[in-house]
Amino acid sequence: MLVLNFLRYPKQLINELLIGDWLIIILSLVGIFYLFQSLWTNEHATKVQISVGNEIYATYSLNQQREIHLHGKLGDAVISISQGKARFSQSPCNTQYCVHQGWLSHAGQVAICLPNQISLELLAERKLYDSLSY
Amino acid sequence: MRYLLLLFTFLFTGCFKEPLYHSQSYVFGTLVDISIYGETDERARFLANNILADFQNLHKQLHAWKPVSGNKLSELGELNAAISAGNQSVKVSPALANMLLDATDLSLKSNGLFNPAIGHLISTWGFQRDEFSAVNVDETAIKNLLHAQPRMTDLVIKANAIYSTNPTVKVDLGGYAKGYALDIAASYLRKEQAKNALINIGGNVIALGKHGDKPWRVGIQHPRAPTAIATLDLADGWAIGTSGDYQRYFMLNGQRYCHIIDPRTGYPAQQTQSVTVLVPPQAGNKTQAGVLSDVVSKPIFIETAANRNTAAQAFGIENFMVIDAQAAIFVSAKMVNKLHWVDASVKFSTLP
Repeated sequence: MLVLNFLRYPKQLINELLIGDWLIIILSLVGIFYLFQSLWTNEHATKVQISVGNEIYATYSLNQQREIHLHGKLGDAVISISQGKARFSQSPCNTQYCVHQGWLSHAGQVAICLPNQISLELLAERKLYDSLSY
Repeated sequence: MRYLLLLFTFLFTGCFKEPLYHSQSYVFGTLVDISIYGETDERARFLANNILADFQNLHKQLHAWKPVSGNKLSELGELNAAISAGNQSVKVSPALANMLLDATDLSLKSNGLFNPAIGHLISTWGFQRDEFSAVNVDETAIKNLLHAQPRMTDLVIKANAIYSTNPTVKVDLGGYAKGYALDIAASYLRKEQAKNALINIGGNVIALGKHGDKPWRVGIQHPRAPTAIATLDLADGWAIGTSGDYQRYFMLNGQRYCHIIDPRTGYPAQQTQSVTVLVPPQAGNKTQAGVLSDVVSKPIFIETAANRNTAAQAFGIENFMVIDAQAAIFVSAKMVNKLHWVDASVKFSTLP
């Protein structure tokens, strides 16, 4: 109804808007802009690709709660997926660099466990780069 | 009807898979990542497997601290054993002799900051192992090795026979071999007329051609976060390499000890988090881009802030980035326009 009125008598309607209405409109625009920024342009990852040794083991959606048990070169590792994030939660390696990397949530982030030869890479619809210099 | 056609075009373009082959393997004790664009899957797999076989052979030839099969040492391991036993000269393959000559040349250019002869110092710090943990710092051993001054110029290389005038020389090509392998792979692919590829050995990357109609794009690792700090386009024949204190290191009493040893002090360099160098294609008779991408980051990493420019210029390198121990970022004037920062609000200084 409001939309139809706006199309018919735009000037009249704008004059009738109160401060509260304007606040709602502005806040909605800010909200939309924020969501666009954080969900669209910030390359939030949607999937995690797990490689074991020379093979891609599997690709999982990040939109789930899950623990994945894997057998690497040294032994058993556990990868956790939760609410758009993924991490190594257990690894048999000595250095534990992979576990200390913590949660990954952005596309292109990688965690590599060289001793156990397992790696995680977060993927989005569009990749930020082809390869990483580290 | 028009819309129906449009819909079909979208559907069909969706069906064509991008002709991109991608493989990941563990060689050189690190991750090797090969992308090949524009070849059939079968041919790309054939090319990638040959590259990996070459890498495996190089690894066996150059491994610095482990017997490569049974209890047989690598070719370089045999040479090192003969050097420390003070034996007469050892015959090596022409390939290894040339690598050592080239590494000597580069070591001189770096004023000794790139010094592959300090293998004994590196193992004193515990970095010649697959995994490293905190070591008790053996100050006497370090002092003795510094005093003995092992240098590449101690090697006498004649007609593929080598001996050393200094028995404390132990050659470790850890800062050379990955770059060398990149050059081998690039020249193999060119010979096979494969035009588009991106090869990454443990963070050293070389590009051939393009990724379709766009250049290959490479990310640069953030030294303290599991993400890229910036990305850039890597043009045909260019190579990029990063040396960091975050890949091989241990912590002792709150202090970080990384694998890059300052040959002047015998201690790990501590004023830098990471150095990235971007290297253009080189003339055929010169040291190639891959090797330079591996080697040149080390002297810049070790050098004091005032001398970083000089260290880069000694190798004709104009594009580099340094992140120091305080996380301050310095980018060479030429490199500034090539970088796309992942976090657009990042602060950095441009080097004159």
